[in-house]
Amino acid sequence: MPAADNTQTGLIFNIQKFSIHDGPGIRSTIFFAGCPLSCLWCSNPESQNRNRQAALASGDPKLAGRAWTIEEVLVEVEKDRCFYEESGGGITLSGGEVLQQHAFATALLQEAGRRSLHRAAETTGFASHKIFAEFIQHIDLLLFDMKHHDREIHREKTGVYNDVILENMRYALEQGVPVIARIPVIPGFNANKRAAKGMAGLLRDMGISQVHLLPFHQFGEKKYEQLGISYTMRDVKQLHPENLQTYLNIFLEEGLEASFH
Amino acid sequence: MENKNHFGELTKRMKAFREEVLDEKPYVDAERAILATEAYRESLNQPRVMARALMLKNILEKMTIYIEDKSLLAGNQATKNTNAPVFPEYTLEFVMKELDLFEKRDGDVFYITEETKDQLREIAPFWENNNLRARGEALLPQEVSVFMETGVFGMEGKLNAGDAHLAVNYKRLLSDGLKGYEERTRECKKALDLTDPDSIDKHVFYRAVLVVIEAVRAFALRYSALAEEMAAGEDQEARKKELLEISRICKKVPYEPASSFREAVQSVWFIQLILQIESNGHSLSYGRFDQYMYPYYKKDLEEGRITEEEALELLTCLWIKTLTINKVRSQAHTLSSAGSPMYQNVTIGGQTEDKKDAVNALSFLVLQSVAQTRLTQPNLTVRYHAGLDKHFFDECIEVMKLGFGMPALNNDEVIIPSFIGWGVKEEDAYNYSAIGCVETAVPGKWGYRCTGMSYINFPRLLLCVMNDGVDLTSGKRFIKGSGFFKDMETYEDLMAAWDQALREMTRYSVIVENAIDKASERDVPDILCSALTDDCIGRGKTIKEGGAVYDFISGLQVGIANMADSLAAIKKLVYEEKKITREQLWDAILDDFQSPENKKIQEMLIHDAPKYGNDDDKADLLVVEAYDTYLDEIAKYPSTRYKRGPIGGIRYAGTSSISANVGQGMGTMATPDGRNAFEPLAEGCSPAHNADKCGPTAVFKSISKLRTEKITGGVLLNQKMTPQMLSSEENKQKLEMLLRTFFNRLHGYHVQYNIVSRETLLDAQEHPENHKDLIVRVAGYSAFFNVLSRKTQDDIIERTEQTL
Repeated sequence: MPAADNTQTGLIFNIQKFSIHDGPGIRSTIFFAGCPLSCLWCSNPESQNRNRQAALASGDPKLAGRAWTIEEVLVEVEKDRCFYEESGGGITLSGGEVLQQHAFATALLQEAGRRSLHRAAETTGFASHKIFAEFIQHIDLLLFDMKHHDREIHREKTGVYNDVILENMRYALEQGVPVIARIPVIPGFNANKRAAKGMAGLLRDMGISQVHLLPFHQFGEKKYEQLGISYTMRDVKQLHPENLQTYLNIFLEEGLEASFH
Repeated sequence: MENKNHFGELTKRMKAFREEVLDEKPYVDAERAILATEAYRESLNQPRVMARALMLKNILEKMTIYIEDKSLLAGNQATKNTNAPVFPEYTLEFVMKELDLFEKRDGDVFYITEETKDQLREIAPFWENNNLRARGEALLPQEVSVFMETGVFGMEGKLNAGDAHLAVNYKRLLSDGLKGYEERTRECKKALDLTDPDSIDKHVFYRAVLVVIEAVRAFALRYSALAEEMAAGEDQEARKKELLEISRICKKVPYEPASSFREAVQSVWFIQLILQIESNGHSLSYGRFDQYMYPYYKKDLEEGRITEEEALELLTCLWIKTLTINKVRSQAHTLSSAGSPMYQNVTIGGQTEDKKDAVNALSFLVLQSVAQTRLTQPNLTVRYHAGLDKHFFDECIEVMKLGFGMPALNNDEVIIPSFIGWGVKEEDAYNYSAIGCVETAVPGKWGYRCTGMSYINFPRLLLCVMNDGVDLTSGKRFIKGSGFFKDMETYEDLMAAWDQALREMTRYSVIVENAIDKASERDVPDILCSALTDDCIGRGKTIKEGGAVYDFISGLQVGIANMADSLAAIKKLVYEEKKITREQLWDAILDDFQSPENKKIQEMLIHDAPKYGNDDDKADLLVVEAYDTYLDEIAKYPSTRYKRGPIGGIRYAGTSSISANVGQGMGTMATPDGRNAFEPLAEGCSPAHNADKCGPTAVFKSISKLRTEKITGGVLLNQKMTPQMLSSEENKQKLEMLLRTFFNRLHGYHVQYNIVSRETLLDAQEHPENHKDLIVRVAGYSAFFNVLSRKTQDDIIERTEQTL
């Protein structure tokens, strides 16, 4: 592969230092704008493609994001290198959906690899095989979203089928990329025993060992207001680990190493 | 909180004892003042050194003594626990002025009886123009009187009290007993060549030391007799036995060397207490408690003389007793020492003289006992180093989770090399301890007040620089003018004026400090404290005369972050982008950003300029530059002990501004960082409130750009953390990683955490009765939330944002 062009730009809406929930050690998480999915519970709605106009119209640079060159991103994340080195951390690409800006993201990862930074990505895995395959060549850890095992229900709440997502997950595992499955536990969608059993079985069969459960919360609510779009999850009850012990057990019973995050 | 029981509960009686002490109303207590006056009257002919010794003797002979029915230790400071004795030989001025106001204060309330008022009125005439305050004021050169009048150096309190800010040599006290000191004093006295003119004063000093040693011994014997008497009237067999044991111990220590853990604890407590009867200087610290106590604990444990549980209870008792010590400050002084703190520091962990991890079983026990008592005293510091026992570090984080601001962490990796760089011997540098809050010194070998005296208020001085040398708050001239801001064509012009002004101001602060030092050297020498500090006896000198092995003091600064942010805003918005004219900015400052146009300017200053604390060189390097002038200037001025014995005798920088950021803020008009007039300034080296937007790693990076190795006096950083941050084991480990990076890689000096939710604090403001033991980290120390003034409470709530 040719050396990355460090002047190419990507649309990024935040770089968060001292991220401690997105992979090992102390990390900087780079939030990519743009996502083809339209999950109703999304806590970063400004990153969804369907809300792009609203994000731009908000006039808030934190919602609209801005173009960053690879060099700029690296200068920013390199500032915390000593923390990554001491803690075994690194950078995590998140979003939005990072694969939507795959050329930029891949080039960024490549350059980060050259600088010996540990690279993780949090992704829905929703991209063509070719794009995904190239992307994961430069990845040290995937935090792979698993939303639902049932393709119809998946389509209903996220806007897309899960076929390509599951294929990509399988492929990453085949390639030996470490994968942690992350399940947002959403009331009225997958926060039920049937879904848990279905997902646990599927993940086990695919060869996943680690699962993070992310109980539903309304942290994104303010952003919906700022964007002037409706938030259908406004009145849904928040979930807490203590309410989800049975749910967790279903994963544990399948031999998965599951925990709340 | 879930981990409340991680460290177990206090024993039933210590729980009750703790409650009792917490419920005590602090009264102003006249007894000490009366006894001191009596002694001074009788020794008008005596050299001051001897008069001070005779004063201590008179107090210790006659003061009220008691042993609480739940206590395992003997020794009280005043006629009742938490009462504050009065020290008229320093000042009575504020006491008399505020006699009817103590109970009406907004924070740091003290009670006072009519009888006490009468007693104080009776002795007051004797002290008129006849104490440290009066003589110190008379000694101050007129050139610096404007700074005392305006209070700009925050010197309030320095002429009202002793110095302290040290730890005496407790290790030697335990091994040699006062008896050992007595023998050495006799020998030195005998060896004097009395034809040598210096010998006359030394001879008096030695006689004075012998007087106080005898007085301390007699004081302990009073408790011994009392305990015996109480035992005779005690029905409960267990308590009777305890009282007899207390009686036996008090007959022995602190005069004789200690030979058991119980004796060692009692001996240390007696001295810690008496030093705070001799003088009212605060930050009188225990030093490396886990190191000098461990041999006694280990031996007793091995020989079956004590169990771990018994030792733990004894320690908790010691901390409750430590809380009974109190000090009444003037209303003005409470602004920088909010919450009536005594800053009695206990330091644990760190390394041994041969550079090994010093953590031992007693380090864990101290941690546990402090966690169980959860009080504002002692102020617990853990010395961090790269090889610190992992389990111990985990336990430290568990204590932090309790949310009372302890322990603070000091970093061996930067402090030890820094000391060595200043000429401290390696084995002494490895033996340093925290003093008070953030400051550090070698216990038992270091002079008073390693933290310095005067605060230089950076942003207030910047305003003065912009105003041709005239202070905006008081309208008085502070420095020679370099013109007005509106005429400063370039940023370099402003910086040149700053450089000159800071140097001038630093010189003034030195003049004031030296005058106060001279006055207290002559007027209020501490005999016991000097005797227990190496090598006063060898030299025949008090500490103030140059008796200590080491003597370094540091200047203090306030509002470093406001200064950085102000410069960054001026540089970018005024000089580079020209979005605000110089006139506009100055008018906006004078207007305190009140008019709509000026509000807009304030918004720009706040939002459109880089801020210190975000790992942005554009702001961070400006503070480094502005601070460098100070480091360069302060190093030029030796103290009054220079070339009189100690290694050092010079000054370096320190940033432990305690809660002075609130009081100093009240004296500072609007600043170019967009801060409104009278609002608090940033504390220590911490970023300005709400200015750090990039999380803790960025704050650490910003701090690390300062020349920490030169700021040996302490680089104070307060961090806030939500309770959620520490809710899981994984998060806890990540916090440790964060701290390890700060200390190992970035050479941070100090950090402490306030972990308590905003909601809890708001609730405590509304319902103080439900939160009487709620403790918050103020700045370098912890205080009970309820005793703080509304303004300080608001300041803390403001700082306690949800960070994650």
